[in-house]
Amino acid sequence: MTESSAAVIHTIDLSKHFGAVRAVDELTVAIPKTGITSIVGPNGSGKSTLVNLLSGTLPLDGGIVIIDGVGLRLVKAHESPQHGITRTFQEVRLFEQISAWDNIMVVLTERRLIPSLFERVKPAHRETAERVLREVGMWEKRDAMAGELSYGQRKLLEIGRAMAMNAQTYLFDEPFAGLFPQMLERVKEIVVRMRDQGHTLIFISHNMDIVRELPDHLIVLDSGKLLTEGEVHDVLSRAEVIEAYLGE
Amino acid sequence: MSQLSESIRGLGASGPLRRMPRANVERIATVVVLGWAMGFMLWQGAGFTITLTTIFAIWAILAVSLNLVVGFTGLLSVGHIGFFGIGAYTMAILASDASYDQLRTESIPTPDWPFFAALPICIALAGLVALGVGIVFNRFRDDIFVLVSFGFAIIAFSFFLNLRELTRGAFGIHEIPRPAFGSWALDGEVEFLVFALICLALVVLICWLIVTSSFGRVLTAIREDEEAIAVFGYRVTHFKLAVWVLSAMMAGLAGALLASWTSFIDPNSFILLESMLLIAIVILGGLATIWGSLLGAMAFVLLEEGMRFLPFLPPEFVGQARQVVLGVLLVVLMLFRPQGLVGRYRL
Amino acid sequence: MSAWSGRLDLSQFAERPRDLLALLLALAVAGYIAWAISQSPQQALQFTFNGLSVGAIYALLAIGFTLVYSTVWFFDLYYGAAAAIGAYGIFYLRSGEALGGLYEVNDPAVNVVFALVTAGVAFWALREFYGRRLRERFGSGSALGVEALVAGGLGAYMGVVLAWPNDLNVLFAPAIGLAAAVVFPWILGRAAARIAPRANQSGVSFVTAITGAAIGVVCSVALAQAGGSKLYLSWVVSCLLAGMVGLAFYRGLYVQIIRRTHSRLIMLVASLGVLLALTALTIIVFESAPRPLPDVFGSTPWQVGGATIKGFNVFAIGVSIAAFVGLLLLLKKTAFGKSVRAIGDDEEVAKVVGINTTLVIAIVVFIGAVFAALAGVLNGHDTAIQPRMGLIMLLKGWIASVVGGIGNLYGAIVGGFALGLIEQFGIWNLAGEWKDVVSFVVLILFLSFWPNGLLPRR
Repeated sequence: MTESSAAVIHTIDLSKHFGAVRAVDELTVAIPKTGITSIVGPNGSGKSTLVNLLSGTLPLDGGIVIIDGVGLRLVKAHESPQHGITRTFQEVRLFEQISAWDNIMVVLTERRLIPSLFERVKPAHRETAERVLREVGMWEKRDAMAGELSYGQRKLLEIGRAMAMNAQTYLFDEPFAGLFPQMLERVKEIVVRMRDQGHTLIFISHNMDIVRELPDHLIVLDSGKLLTEGEVHDVLSRAEVIEAYLGE
Repeated sequence: MSQLSESIRGLGASGPLRRMPRANVERIATVVVLGWAMGFMLWQGAGFTITLTTIFAIWAILAVSLNLVVGFTGLLSVGHIGFFGIGAYTMAILASDASYDQLRTESIPTPDWPFFAALPICIALAGLVALGVGIVFNRFRDDIFVLVSFGFAIIAFSFFLNLRELTRGAFGIHEIPRPAFGSWALDGEVEFLVFALICLALVVLICWLIVTSSFGRVLTAIREDEEAIAVFGYRVTHFKLAVWVLSAMMAGLAGALLASWTSFIDPNSFILLESMLLIAIVILGGLATIWGSLLGAMAFVLLEEGMRFLPFLPPEFVGQARQVVLGVLLVVLMLFRPQGLVGRYRL
Repeated sequence: MSAWSGRLDLSQFAERPRDLLALLLALAVAGYIAWAISQSPQQALQFTFNGLSVGAIYALLAIGFTLVYSTVWFFDLYYGAAAAIGAYGIFYLRSGEALGGLYEVNDPAVNVVFALVTAGVAFWALREFYGRRLRERFGSGSALGVEALVAGGLGAYMGVVLAWPNDLNVLFAPAIGLAAAVVFPWILGRAAARIAPRANQSGVSFVTAITGAAIGVVCSVALAQAGGSKLYLSWVVSCLLAGMVGLAFYRGLYVQIIRRTHSRLIMLVASLGVLLALTALTIIVFESAPRPLPDVFGSTPWQVGGATIKGFNVFAIGVSIAAFVGLLLLLKKTAFGKSVRAIGDDEEVAKVVGINTTLVIAIVVFIGAVFAALAGVLNGHDTAIQPRMGLIMLLKGWIASVVGGIGNLYGAIVGGFALGLIEQFGIWNLAGEWKDVVSFVVLILFLSFWPNGLLPRR
């Protein structure tokens, strides 16, 4: 009980397999509510699958996810905001053929079907969208189609879209991949700022400099299983991690 | 933004989207089609104009409502004609006058309802069928959705043709009355045209309200990425179902108008080919714009009527020639302007 | 832990009822068929024959469809038009005499169009595949001249063949003879290389060339003398035409669209435009009334176990099975087949490893269109032809390939025959006009319960 109250997300024997491949294999892991948690591991170790399972993008094959003390055997994607979870995608999935502005607006508006038919743009939505777009530095590009933006801008916009949800827990799937230093700094700033505001941040990264610098907590996966977890410096100094993953 | 990051634009999953040159083509298309319509009407006179505009109103209701599904939600439906037919047949069966001669083998009961009593039933029935069909179709996407929507059009046509106890099959149903307010029936062509245009205006208004609401924005997001929008808390299936049903109800209204206007319908008005022409109109005019669908419907009507005046074209081939032109236009558009003349979205 | 135990609900079984429903459905269908057979074995046999007869046509369409789909990954609605071209090709070439001269439809404009298509495809093929060799030998200017000359000649030849259908056997005999003279030496050469790998190369090729030439001459003379061969030659000509038109659309249109976008739906809409235009053109040329095609093998049906089947239907079943086996051998046993699969997996990678993707895709597209045309021909001889037959045949082929498992060749033939049988048994107590409804209901059930079809692609 104590464990699950300290953890915002807790999985027990979580499993997902694609055919014969066990992408996530009876994974039991707890993600603390405070601070930044980073998930690392070699390619194909199940990092993205874990994020997809937690956000309901993929259905579980087995095990339980406990989110904020509520145990679930079936995480439905459209219910993940109710559990305080929102996410970004590894391959940057924006709504390509609508404007950056509408990309933000669409996550702010009414979820219920009938009321949404009668809802027009509200000042509150407009204010939030403007604040978020300014925060990620995309305000000038608000009228551009999402599909016309550069890769870095798309990444920022996607993070902005998640921020607009004002969720408790953010799952960022490789937010730093493929960014130029300037952009990378900006994303880092955003992540730190969000942590300081009391949000839980979970991100996947391959960038070891960032993994040393940013997170408070580290989860290392290998072949769908938990290799080790704990404080960043503890984990990084463990021999097994160095052998299995870092190779330093 | 840094120039470097600009230079790797398009690393994203879907690749770069070419900037759509908007203003020029749109303005030219609008001017050409409107000018063409004006010129044609001035040349041919009032009677012709009235007929033409009535046909336009009916096709425009169909096109605008189909655009909700195709352009805004991204479901390429070829089955819209089925809902059109359901509306028309419901009106025909409910409102047809029982006094006309029926073959004994193909006779149907005709309750002889007034237009305005039958109209809500037409719309509701189209919506109800759409609800059932939509629940089944909701899981399909992309080309498989196209295939099953072909299926719906064919199944609907088969019912119109083969359910003889209800539809008189190939004989069709006669004596469908015009709308009447008390004793004032809209028997004149002008009165009916005004009524049809009011219906069109209503449909356009409703569609405009839908697409500019939060609901409409969610639809465009569903069109772009169903899985992604679900993560943000929207029940995608409900939204898709809702727009599908609304669009079908508008098609039902168009069907009721057609039945009442022509006073006779048979299954030939609802063949699959008509549905393919309809989708051609929507794409031709432009996806995800209401104005585009109006323009497309107008161009379509002008095309057919205009071809009647080509001296070298035998009259029986007018429909075919129009179909050839539409087919070629569709091909050319897919090559050079996949979003259609004034479109905001490309498939 | 107790805080969340209340939320452990039955929702994890959400997937289960569907499996159960699917099982019940399958049992119901099996039960229905068993009931049907017990009601009247004779009628059941008749329906089986009918089902296999139409199934053969669906299978042929589905094979072509699935082959093309699993290579270029979009549904080409042109194949509906190809089926119509195949059937109307026979009508165009044979209506004059075989149908008592009732419908004379020979139209110079049509001949010119097909001559141009032939010339265009020939020119493209020469330039694409022999262009470099020709340029090396003659220089670029003269090479262009040679290509244009050869292509123009082929086009003119096709025009002539189409313009005088009454002498089809005489006019087309040289082409068949030439084909025989090319194919036989190649087969003989392959055989010789396997039997006697150490034989003198030039000697072998000399002997095979002589034999080939002799066979070619014999073939063409025999054909030119046999007036009865005209019908069968018209099959070859119309399938060839449909294939070339398909290739022309693929190169001239679809490739251009692929260069601009990768959207499958845009391709689909473009091919819808093609289908609309071609269907309307068919009506303009041939009018929309249904037309008969000449009878093949006589029309007296055979009696088998109290049921009847036409000889032609047995022939059609044989053709589709032969086509399937031939294609299977081609795909499984040859380097070409490997290339096709490689392109289906990833065209860019295939190109990088040195596969001539242009050539392979061109052949695949051609084969697909020929199969569709062949299906149109078989269907046309079996029933009557009408301009809109293309669309409904296309849909049946599409359904059959989805029911069988899209992208799987075995699935396509199983799906084709299964669809034919289900359609027939489905209308057991209904009138025949409901069979389109039956096929689409089957499709929708399949997609809902077994979205990957009977035999999923691995």
